Amino acid sequence: MINVKQLEIGYNKGKHPVSVFSNMNMSLNAGDLVGLMGDNGIGKSTFIKTLMGNLTPLSGEITLNNKSITQYSAQELAQQLSVVITEKVGGFNLSVWDVVATGRTPYINIFGKLSDTDEQTVITALEQLNLLPLKDKLIDELSDGQRQKVMIAKSLAQQTPVIVLDEPTAFLDHRSRHHLFSVLKQLCTEQGKLIIVSSHDLELMKTYINRSVTMAEGNRLEVL
Amino acid sequence: MTKQRFILTIGYLTLLIAALITCDLCFGSVNLFSLDHSDPLFQTILYDIRLPKTLTSVIAGSGLALCGVLMQSLFRNPLAGPYVLGVSSGASLFVAIATMLISSVNISGFYFMGKSIVTLFSIGGAFFVTLIILMVSKKNKNNVTLLLVGLMLGQILGALQGLIEFVSSADNLKTFILWGMGSVGSTTMEDVWFMLPVYLAAVIAAFFLVRSLNAILLNEQYAQNLGVNVNRLRVTIIIITALLVGVITAFCGPIAFVGISVPIASRLFFKTSHHLHQLVFCLLLGACVVLTADVICQLVSNQLMLPINTVTTIIGSPVVIWLLFKSKLSVG
Repeated sequence: MINVKQLEIGYNKGKHPVSVFSNMNMSLNAGDLVGLMGDNGIGKSTFIKTLMGNLTPLSGEITLNNKSITQYSAQELAQQLSVVITEKVGGFNLSVWDVVATGRTPYINIFGKLSDTDEQTVITALEQLNLLPLKDKLIDELSDGQRQKVMIAKSLAQQTPVIVLDEPTAFLDHRSRHHLFSVLKQLCTEQGKLIIVSSHDLELMKTYINRSVTMAEGNRLEVL
Repeated sequence: MTKQRFILTIGYLTLLIAALITCDLCFGSVNLFSLDHSDPLFQTILYDIRLPKTLTSVIAGSGLALCGVLMQSLFRNPLAGPYVLGVSSGASLFVAIATMLISSVNISGFYFMGKSIVTLFSIGGAFFVTLIILMVSKKNKNNVTLLLVGLMLGQILGALQGLIEFVSSADNLKTFILWGMGSVGSTTMEDVWFMLPVYLAAVIAAFFLVRSLNAILLNEQYAQNLGVNVNRLRVTIIIITALLVGVITAFCGPIAFVGISVPIASRLFFKTSHHLHQLVFCLLLGACVVLTADVICQLVSNQLMLPINTVTTIIGSPVVIWLLFKSKLSVG
């Protein structure tokens, strides 16, 4: 599903490219729950941003279903890959429903009107994460764990075969972490989604993931 | 918000606007009911003085409120607005420069050329400041920093405008001061026809952004991952805002309060974050606010035209503060 070949990731600072990590090779398949591990600053978030299409690879390529991600239009990529990032979402009267409904953005018309099918997809996403009773609540009234689940529900409503989560357990307590990972595991096994999760919680990762990608100093990449 | 409630709310607000338009046309220094309909004075007062003023109120109120929604969503900052972030000040400074140029080359007799130059300068000023604010927001995402930069920019531009006023002639100085207080009463029907195409184009363009605006409320990265071309959205919002603020400021002066407060009030009243609802409600509510302010101006004094800024701020601000304390809703 996702193939990474001779990838070099980094930023373009002015005219000079700054390499963060290079020589990355891996192949990830549908149904995998992949743990992305490594020390702070090693390049996990840069890799995720490159996967999302926010950063262009310095060299090499990432293919998604045998097509380079740089060849996808923004809307096409949005129908293939969804993300849950660390930055908190809130304010502006955003309700749980509003946030999850944004997952339908790649499929709806410019006026933001949800069709009956779109609404049913949002309801299903909410049900899968037991969020339906909270649908009218403001996002600001939720706990960090509930907020994280809302963002995952947004990804489910986006109906993408690939979901990428950057440090999803950062603000969660022990119980919520396990609940979150069991939900992710269930999505991989039952719906065949490819889920890539970055986290520092090695114990949690070992319990749930079936694939691991470890980034280490000296551009050493271990893919198991 | 359900479809029925959305339509019902539009209905109520439209009725309110109709009532306010009627009041605005009726109130004034001359009692229209005492005149015969065929009297030329009746025709002049109604069609040449009051109708342009009323239409300008609708355009200015709804236009500035629309700019407020767009800016608050783009910056994800409920304190953003054309006046607070210095966009109106940019337009004002450039209008002052244009007015000086026009008076020095003496083309004031040519209506279209004179108005075009002033309007283009005003749009240019608004565009310039919006661009600076956008660059600052890209460098520093802190809401308070953005607000402070906007306030400082407003101060700098205000000081530069003061400098122009200081060296200008007595006639120009009087024009600047009166215009700077904000007024919807000095426009003619020609001015309204001048503003209308720009206003309509900007409003229509804004409705094409609804889906992207909904997504960008999460944040830019999420919006991008949802297929939104964030750069194109930014540029479109800058153009719409610069056009509307530029045109409105050129004809009415810098109008405070409406751009920032109407979107906040709309979120508190109507409890929605969907931009299709927000845009419609802010257009209607913005028109209501400026029409109400204009009616109050007439009621307070029949002989003296009060500055619209004074009324919008004195009446509107406490209402929003009261709403904020009363409501548990989050506005941003």
